Amino acid sequence: MLTDVLLGNYRKRVLSQLLLHPDEDYHVRELARLTGTTPGSLHKELSKLAQAGLLLRKEQGNQVRYQANRQCPVFPELAGLLRKTTGAAEVVAQALAPLQPSLALIFGSVASGTETAASDVDVLVITERGFGEVVRALYAAQTTLGREINPVVYSPAELKNHVAEQDPFVLNLLAGPRIFLKGTPDDLSQLVGHSAPASL
Amino acid sequence: MTLANLLAIQRLQAFEASPQGVQRLLAAAERNLADAQLQVLSRENRFDAAYKCILQCAMLGLWAQGYRTATSQPGHHQTTLQALPLTMGLPNDLIIVLDALRKQRNQNDYEGDPVSPAVVTECIHQAQSLLAHTHQFLQAQFPHLLK
Repeated sequence: MLTDVLLGNYRKRVLSQLLLHPDEDYHVRELARLTGTTPGSLHKELSKLAQAGLLLRKEQGNQVRYQANRQCPVFPELAGLLRKTTGAAEVVAQALAPLQPSLALIFGSVASGTETAASDVDVLVITERGFGEVVRALYAAQTTLGREINPVVYSPAELKNHVAEQDPFVLNLLAGPRIFLKGTPDDLSQLVGHSAPASL
Repeated sequence: MTLANLLAIQRLQAFEASPQGVQRLLAAAERNLADAQLQVLSRENRFDAAYKCILQCAMLGLWAQGYRTATSQPGHHQTTLQALPLTMGLPNDLIIVLDALRKQRNQNDYEGDPVSPAVVTECIHQAQSLLAHTHQFLQAQFPHLLK
């Protein structure tokens, strides 16, 4: 939410994609697809950001590609700002990757974009691994994000049981805004079984 | 941070525990661990009992070294757990997990969030190993407190 106010939602999405993947360059159409924006207005936006020195503009044949400019004096600060806000998903996903969870998603205020400076990152992790293992895996990411991470850990079978029993906490969690870190909404429906309530 | 530093900033108080006091707290920790394994209880209460066992073991570490936390101070649970590497030589890595269990307790006590089975299992497992460690530690370094 903070970066929406500072940068606007449109620019936040574009800059997150570019500045949090500084080694990648993107064609305008590709970037539009990745960020859910339209290529027409994106062209203008990108060329302005390149003129300001925040992006590199490269011509490859008849294609124009854009990449984050690490040499820009404010690059580290801007990338850090994005990582702490929009980048939370990526940081948490990377921290969880070695555990190979069946499914993982962010719920709560970070997912709904209503987080404040003091908000935790609430993460649902579906795995057979223990709570302690998940906590250890996420520990360093808390420093990167400057936020506490609050994991909720269930095994696939436990999650299915809780949904079948209509556990209000789990149902609320699954029905609210979510950012998928591992798996898709379809994978989630499969995990909880086809008897899942319609809200899923 | 040393225990003496924590005393200087009043996170800890000097305290001389009696053998009777130590044995009473140790017995309480054992009862809590036994209760945590009662399947008829809710997950929240089993978790609570196991967490109490962990906190009591951590408190025994402080007592043995001549300290206690000021229970009137906010954050005294955190102080007690984070002192474990200093009091009983436990690895910092373990404190990460114990501190996460403390946060789960807050989530449950103050927000009503349910405790997941994975958290109950972890809490009981940690309580068992910390209680065993506490016994060994007292036996090896402060045997007079067990007599």
